[in-house]
Amino acid sequence: MLGRVEKKYGVVVVGGGPAGMGAALGARDCGEEKVLILDREPEAGGILLQCIHSGFGMHYFREELTGPEYAERFLQKVIDHDIDVLPGSYVSGVAVDSGGSKKVRIMSESHGLITVETKSVVLAMGCRERTRGAVRIPGTRPSGILTAGLAQKFVNLKGYLPGKRIAILGSGDIGLIMARRLTLEGCRVEGVFELMPYSNGLTRNVVQCLEDFDIPLHLSTTVAYVHGRDRIEKITVAPVNPDLKPDMSRAWDVPCDTLLISVGLIPENELTQNLGIGLDVVTGGPLVSSTLETSMPGMFACGNVLHVHDLVDYVTREAMLAGRFAGEWSKGVRRPKDNIRLVPGDNVRYCVPHTLSPEREHTIHLRCKAAMKPCKIRVGSLMEKKLRFVFPAEMIMFKIKPDLLDKFHGDTLRIDILPLEKGERVD
Amino acid sequence: MIEIKKYICIGCPVGCPLQLEHEKDRIREVTGNECNRGAKYARQEFTDPRRSISTTVQISGALRQRLPVKVSGAIHKDQILEAARKIHELKVMAPVEIGQVLFKDFLGEKGIDVVACRSMKRIAEAMTACRTKKHRRSKAGKPE
Repeated sequence: MLGRVEKKYGVVVVGGGPAGMGAALGARDCGEEKVLILDREPEAGGILLQCIHSGFGMHYFREELTGPEYAERFLQKVIDHDIDVLPGSYVSGVAVDSGGSKKVRIMSESHGLITVETKSVVLAMGCRERTRGAVRIPGTRPSGILTAGLAQKFVNLKGYLPGKRIAILGSGDIGLIMARRLTLEGCRVEGVFELMPYSNGLTRNVVQCLEDFDIPLHLSTTVAYVHGRDRIEKITVAPVNPDLKPDMSRAWDVPCDTLLISVGLIPENELTQNLGIGLDVVTGGPLVSSTLETSMPGMFACGNVLHVHDLVDYVTREAMLAGRFAGEWSKGVRRPKDNIRLVPGDNVRYCVPHTLSPEREHTIHLRCKAAMKPCKIRVGSLMEKKLRFVFPAEMIMFKIKPDLLDKFHGDTLRIDILPLEKGERVD
Repeated sequence: MIEIKKYICIGCPVGCPLQLEHEKDRIREVTGNECNRGAKYARQEFTDPRRSISTTVQISGALRQRLPVKVSGAIHKDQILEAARKIHELKVMAPVEIGQVLFKDFLGEKGIDVVACRSMKRIAEAMTACRTKKHRRSKAGKPE
């Protein structure tokens, strides 16, 4: 029920976005009756509520939905399953007693400071954007510089326009979406500047958000200086050399009153870190076993807090799995520990989960370092899978069957992405 | 006269550079595509490029100040800006239900409506009064 909170739960989910809602439903599916979702915003739904464009739900619902529609469908399911949701509540810490039971400390707008006891916790806090500080742009520090997602929140939820003449640094999908969004709202978008020689967003977004509106995309170009005292007045942009350093001899000025930054996402793991849970330095998320359990027993993680996903549908699937295992845990089921470590090899940036168990089938998520086409994924000596292409911006997923792992007697499984050998072809 | 139009396929991340050869309105050939989706896409873009559009409208009496809306069917590419302007003239009052039609046969095309993308409850007057007054669309971005 919306706004209800009791003293004891089986599963408490931190975060009410797509991952949190998916996890709560997963926990209910496996028979856990007492599930609570905590969210710091005034309503659950997470980032979906501000993503008003369509493109969500193609895998899960088999139809193209906007973010708010996807969120509402899930919230309705959550309420129908009698899951408690407490919006306007912030988790300040989790204490674990010797018996493994967890006490979640919550600051709630409606209930004040409260403590809730639970057997397992699912971390589903999502991610946040990298800011100007993370990319260190020289120049003054005027107002009018904000991340693309923050601008999205202002425009789509609050009804503010951040400015009239917009420049965008970084070609991540949120930046591209905002270029179109602000154009529709009557703003002039001067251009999108991308450091790399390729766009970081989907081709679909480059075509439909930029080309449709004649917004220029400057590749291998970056913002070299910010001008303006109180409000940003213009930026100096410069093409970059192969070492990614700006070539100031070819620089030019772009007048603007707003600079949006869209340069990547970082999982939001302060709570995780405070608990002393082990993190993966590459993903920025916790290290997890094949049950998506972190290094702290009974503490699970899913969604963008674990690693940044491309599609909400994948988040939902992963979250439901994490929720199911969290529900199992709270009912006293203890699965045998994983005994195979998964390590990234050639051209693999990371893989999740970090360990495997031969007792069931696993879906492995991984990202490559560099684009390659065609190529193959090799998992130790167990299997090979040919792919037409891999791109760093696109998550790769594949399944490993338990009978394959049964034949494996080592403790470390290495995953490589390799070019095809002569004579090999992708079917 | 044979002319060539260039597109980038949006079917998958490969983004094949497509070339469509045409003689006035007649398509002769599509090249550059690695799979069928590319040819289909180029043909569609050449004959009738359509886009789905979503934006927000002003809402009063709700927790938020903007209500996300979408156009129920894809509209012609050239109509996007006009459509957005028209939608922005809409003002709605809470409560609103998801899927509720706010503007029927919008743009004069049958069956293409503006619909609400989420439900919004009506909240107490006292809570919205101070919000709507203060939170009109700001004129930010105007350097003083």
